[in-house]
Amino acid sequence: MASQAHSLSYSGCNFLRQRLVLSTLSGRPVKIRKIRARDDNPGLRDFEASFIRLLDKVTNGSRIEINQTGTTLYYQPGLLYGGSMEHDCSVLRGIGYYLESLLCLAPFMKHPLRIVLRGVTNDQVDPSVDVLKATALPLLKQFGIDSESFELKVVRRGMPPGGGGEVFFSCPVRKVLKPIQLIDPGKIKRIRGMAYSVRVSPQMANRIVDSARSILNKFIPDIYIYTDHMKGINSGKSPGFGLSLVAETTNGTFLSAELASNPQGQGAAMLPEDLGRNCARLLLEEIYRGGCVDSTNQSLALLLMTLGQQDVSKVLLGPLSPYTIEFLRHLKSFFQIMFKIETKPCGEELKGGDKVLMTCVGIGFSNLSKTLK
Amino acid sequence: METKDQKKHRKKNSGPKAEKKKKRHLQDLQLGDEEDARKRNPKAFAVQSAVRMARSFHRTQDLKTKKHHIPVVDRTPLEPPPIVVVVMGPPKVGKSTLIQCLIRNFTRQKLTEIRGPVTIVSGKKRRLTIIECGCDINMMIDLAKVADLVLMLIDASFGFEMETFEFLNICQVHGFPKIMGVLTHLDSFKHNKQLKKTKKRLKHRFWTEVYPGAKLFYLSGMVHGEYQNQEIHNLGRFITVMKFRPLTWQTSHPYILADRMEDLTNPEDIRTNTKCDRKVSLYGYLRGAHLKNKSQVHIPGVGDFAVSDVSFLPDPCALPEQQKKRCLNEKEKLVYAPLSGVGGVLYDKDAVYVDLGGSHGFQESEVRPTHELVQSLISTHSTIDAKMASSRVTLFSDSKPLGSEDIDNQGLENSYSDDETEEGQDAEVTDKQYMSGKGIKRQKLETEEDFEVDLPAFADSDDDLERSSRDILESEAVREGGKPELLQTDDSSDSLNMEKSLTRKKATFTTSDSGHCTAEEAFASEDEPEGNSSLSTEEEDSENEEAIGKKFPKPSQVVSSQKLGSGNLIDETSDIEDLLKEEEDYKEENNYSTETSGALKWKEDLSRKAAEAFLRQQQTTPNLRKLIYGTVTEDNEEEDGDNGEELGGLFRVSQPASECKHKADSLDCSRFHVEAPHDWDLEEVMNSIRDCFVTGKWEEDKDAAKILAEDEELYGDFEDLETGDVHKGKPGPDTQIEDVEEEVKEEIDPSAEESAKKKHLDKKRKLKEMFDAEYDEGESTYFDDLKGEMQKQAQLNRAEFEDQDDEARVQYEGFRPGMYVRIEIENVPCEFVLNFDPHYPIILGGLGNSEGNVGYVQMRLKKHRWYKKILKSRDPIIFSVGWRRFQTIPLYYIEDHNGRQRLLKYTPQHMHCGATFWGPITPQGTGFLAVQSVSGSMPDFRIAATGVVLDLDKSIKIVKKLKLTGFPYKIFKNTSFIKVLAKFEGAVIRTVSGIRGQIKKALRAPEGAFRATFEDKLLMSDIVFMRTWYPVSIPAFYNPVTSLLKPVGEKDTWSGMRTTGQLRLAHGIKLKANKDSLYKPIVRQKKHFNSLHIPKALQKALPFKSKPKTQAKAGKTPKDRVRPAVIREPHERKILALLDALSTVHSEKMKKAKEQRHLHNKEHFKMKQKEEEEKLKRQKDLRKKLYRIQGQKERRNQKSSLKGPEEQLK
Repeated sequence: MASQAHSLSYSGCNFLRQRLVLSTLSGRPVKIRKIRARDDNPGLRDFEASFIRLLDKVTNGSRIEINQTGTTLYYQPGLLYGGSMEHDCSVLRGIGYYLESLLCLAPFMKHPLRIVLRGVTNDQVDPSVDVLKATALPLLKQFGIDSESFELKVVRRGMPPGGGGEVFFSCPVRKVLKPIQLIDPGKIKRIRGMAYSVRVSPQMANRIVDSARSILNKFIPDIYIYTDHMKGINSGKSPGFGLSLVAETTNGTFLSAELASNPQGQGAAMLPEDLGRNCARLLLEEIYRGGCVDSTNQSLALLLMTLGQQDVSKVLLGPLSPYTIEFLRHLKSFFQIMFKIETKPCGEELKGGDKVLMTCVGIGFSNLSKTLK
Repeated sequence: METKDQKKHRKKNSGPKAEKKKKRHLQDLQLGDEEDARKRNPKAFAVQSAVRMARSFHRTQDLKTKKHHIPVVDRTPLEPPPIVVVVMGPPKVGKSTLIQCLIRNFTRQKLTEIRGPVTIVSGKKRRLTIIECGCDINMMIDLAKVADLVLMLIDASFGFEMETFEFLNICQVHGFPKIMGVLTHLDSFKHNKQLKKTKKRLKHRFWTEVYPGAKLFYLSGMVHGEYQNQEIHNLGRFITVMKFRPLTWQTSHPYILADRMEDLTNPEDIRTNTKCDRKVSLYGYLRGAHLKNKSQVHIPGVGDFAVSDVSFLPDPCALPEQQKKRCLNEKEKLVYAPLSGVGGVLYDKDAVYVDLGGSHGFQESEVRPTHELVQSLISTHSTIDAKMASSRVTLFSDSKPLGSEDIDNQGLENSYSDDETEEGQDAEVTDKQYMSGKGIKRQKLETEEDFEVDLPAFADSDDDLERSSRDILESEAVREGGKPELLQTDDSSDSLNMEKSLTRKKATFTTSDSGHCTAEEAFASEDEPEGNSSLSTEEEDSENEEAIGKKFPKPSQVVSSQKLGSGNLIDETSDIEDLLKEEEDYKEENNYSTETSGALKWKEDLSRKAAEAFLRQQQTTPNLRKLIYGTVTEDNEEEDGDNGEELGGLFRVSQPASECKHKADSLDCSRFHVEAPHDWDLEEVMNSIRDCFVTGKWEEDKDAAKILAEDEELYGDFEDLETGDVHKGKPGPDTQIEDVEEEVKEEIDPSAEESAKKKHLDKKRKLKEMFDAEYDEGESTYFDDLKGEMQKQAQLNRAEFEDQDDEARVQYEGFRPGMYVRIEIENVPCEFVLNFDPHYPIILGGLGNSEGNVGYVQMRLKKHRWYKKILKSRDPIIFSVGWRRFQTIPLYYIEDHNGRQRLLKYTPQHMHCGATFWGPITPQGTGFLAVQSVSGSMPDFRIAATGVVLDLDKSIKIVKKLKLTGFPYKIFKNTSFIKVLAKFEGAVIRTVSGIRGQIKKALRAPEGAFRATFEDKLLMSDIVFMRTWYPVSIPAFYNPVTSLLKPVGEKDTWSGMRTTGQLRLAHGIKLKANKDSLYKPIVRQKKHFNSLHIPKALQKALPFKSKPKTQAKAGKTPKDRVRPAVIREPHERKILALLDALSTVHSEKMKKAKEQRHLHNKEHFKMKQKEEEEKLKRQKDLRKKLYRIQGQKERRNQKSSLKGPEEQLK
């Protein structure tokens, strides 16, 4: 027998998605122990179980073993299969939680992925579908993943705690990825946004827009914030509203920020004006951090750089998020790849905080699932 | 002499003279050659058909594009690895002689016995690794995968042999390296003509196999048992200048053709168990792609292994350093072949002989120390191996029960004390890497005691230099594994207060959190060292180095945690400086303390140097890197800590969830929350991002206004050619100033001059770009663009890590091809070492991600047309795919029109079919070949099939046809009741005679019966069947060919699983034949058909046409109907006879007359034709004359018209 690639072992449920995704891509089995072992309610939560089910759906031949209490998970990855499917996500987390991992996996499937995800489209924890659509998709396009069928569509909007949203995501497959050289983020030429409100007064969205503009107008005049009020079945099961803002630069970099209202029955009610202003400030913070990739998609960019051909890829990032830092460590253990990390201190120019230049040589990954005809 | 006798002159009809005449004649007639024709008759050469023209244009374009190769990024390193030259041929063809001659040609050295690869420097920029390939198919397959160039030796006196063709086929499958044929034994031909003929025949056969025009070399004969010098020299020149196209598999996988092997197993383990798994180190040039540490490799003939360690060594056969001169001098003509005993080491079965002189293998010039501290140590010339060997001896002479890592370290250290040499550098390199790689594992093994053991070891040696060296090594070790060791000390020293303080520190951090997964929290593990550093003061007197070790990680940790915690990076640099200052102070203190302690005087040097080294490193490596990669917390440590307290051996004390635990179970979210938001209402905060917007200030080179101004400056001056006006651009202020500067302070300020020069160059470049754009407009094709892009990427790849030293570089890109590396591999079967045969190549083929996994592999396969048998499904067969050779059980299938994969029992004879097996996953598009056996030698062609990998999956969909049968037991009109058939309602069924039907409903009463309808009534004798598809399973059988583990001399005898046919043969079991399937002689019975009887009623109804016309034969005519015979009278008879005669005469007359007339007509026709011809001829002549006159007239006219104006001018 060919010796199975030696498995990696982790403990704790944090970074579960990273580990499973990297395991799937690298083909190395992973064992995760002590998942909330000391917790009153030990083991995997519903949303994690749902995520594992989703992984099982998109792969063929994966072996998943979970012990009785759910505190230990063994995952032996199969081959990414893809195709058309549907998945009901847990309402405990947003669809973004699932979509982020799918974005990593989708280009390497056997058949192009066409998936309908149901659940919470916008919440306060995970990056919302709108933000991913505005930032992650252009990022993937930089790597040569692009076709007419590449889309992410919000069919229905669902807010926590009820959910009821629906998202359609389809992605073409690629055999190899292009290396990228994103060193110059360019200058922000426009800001776009989406203020949404479901099962509340449509006026909420307008109030959000006004307040957000009041702050952003000091920097750039080209701002347009769409309002999106969904009705009937398209508005999900719970009321709520929120705002997502995206700043686009001359070089095609997208920086985003978002805020959503507190879920119904949790926390104090939020004024739409406050939300708009805070979200605009968050966008300014994001701009201050800067880089060619916004902070939520750092890990996605780094992963796709790793999975490129054996060429040098470079990307300029803002400060690395903790998630990204852990991701880099995981990349090292799964793919034996290290990034050259150079801090670029901000100079005289007024361009926000320090940046980090990440450089790596791709591992020469090729899509082993794609059929040769 | 009489003129009569003279021969008549004969005109020449051919030859140059005749041609000349003909030409003149034609010229006379004004019928020129080709070019004139174009002029003479322009209509004939005009565009006749646009379609045809388009077609011809397409064709030329097609031919042009066909020549294009897909552009690939050129990833060849600056100093490429030696080129692998495989010398292949049947036995007794002169392979070894050729290798010897080549080596002698390049190096002026004579190797008597060649074993394994020999690396030589063949030119200023090229090295060769020459290896011989015998006739063992295992060896042929392995070497074809790594070869860059194949020298295919062919015995001209014999012609091509089967091995040659086999090898060509193997090469073809695995990427086709460059192949050069070499004909030997040409002196055996007595006649020159035969020689020529043979050469030509062989050449053309070779061309059909390789490619038309492939180079075939002729070695005409031997002189004193060697080939002729001039020929070898020419061959060498050819090899040296040859160019290679990168092969897909080779460029995408790292691989090593090992030229040295060492057994590193603990001798004690071998003593206790001779069959224990071994730990070996393999050496060789890295080729292909970058190799990452800890990656997986496959050794063909042995199996899959995980690399336990990789390190790079100085090049034992380096290229000459300066490239200025034209040829190499003698010193640079190196040869390296450790397996053959060249390059310092000679291997015997159980000993290693070290050759200290007579080789150029290790010279001072080659030794390039990477560390100046070690540089001083490097002085002697003996080899690594020698020291390794000796180090092992010293190690076990004192035999202390230490951990294996310690043994390794100490062993190496001891070896330094024996002879401080360049070895130090190498070993240190490996050592360091080892530590940095395994950092954490190591600490677990090491304890404080180890250090204490180490220290006296230092103390009892007296040599100063040695001491310092060891110290440095030690200190470096500490530095590298800096933080981990510190952690370990905490663990080991069980002082409670320490742990308490630690936890306290952690607690403070936790409380400061806002409840979210914050940056600080995430880096709590990084904060730990801070706590430790405070503790370190307690221990600093006793353990100096350790304190230093502790100190090192501190600044980085503090800085990084601070930086990330606040999300504000501005004051980072100042922090570093502060901390570095602090550290220097600390260091001074340290020195002071050590000096006062007196006894440890030598340590002073150590700390200073270590600190210096640390500072250097601090400057080069960014802190963020250390933060991310340097301090990966692993939970294993904690576990060890946890396990300590047990109550009564049953209950465990549940400790409060530590920091790391908390982190491990916290929220999994990719969003990066802002911890300390700025106040965006403040003007200065707002200003900090002003330039991020298009409304802000632009960079110098991007500012639109500036660019415009520059353009003006560049293109301002122009002259309007039509009007003759000269427009002058305004001289820019910059240029003016520059002019002044240039004039005035040319000597004073070189920077100004430089800038001017730069400006000038810029200007030039811009102009050139403009010109290029204008000139090539529309010319640059997609292909050109693609090529340009690839080139750019290649440049970037080269430039990116160029300025970094190798040690840092290998961490980022892995070990790059061209490096001489040493690879340690553990758990190698002992047979590999015991049965080591240097003649067999050892290849370490790197595996990509998930290439070590197994699954179902689908491939397109074709039985080789020269293979005698066809292949049977489920017969074990040996595949060579990727790096591997393995035996597996394939199933052959063919895809139906609807995509169904139908199982085949046997491969088709001359057609592709699919094959699926369970085995290692190999990327799609990889070629493969199959052989039925790798053992022994067969006279026939051995390659059974070839093909390509199409698809990989974890499940298969191959089906085979299964016919279920049933018999009718009750038949109505179209409905029948049928028993024994599966009851798939609605399924389509059929009888053998072709009546189609459908299952309607299952019946309850007889088991398995059902009602079905058919398109016609069945007979009771009909058999009804249903066609179903049954999925087949593939046996999960994957058996790597372990031919290298066989004893020496029996390496080509590996035999795996046998086929059922072979087993039956071996055991004498005869297959029971199905009697029904046997062929019997066909006996044709005479059939009797009864006459067709049509009922009368039917006959009556039939139309007349169809009525049977079988009236009975007319019987005897009745007498009354019979006519009486006529009897003539004699007179009458006479008349009749006369009339007969007359008519005969008449008819004869008529016939004759007709004949005559025909003749006459013919003649007349002929005459007429002649006349006609003459007439025509006359007319033709007349016309000719007329035309000629006409033409002459015309010409005259033309001439006169041409002349006219000239004359006028005159």
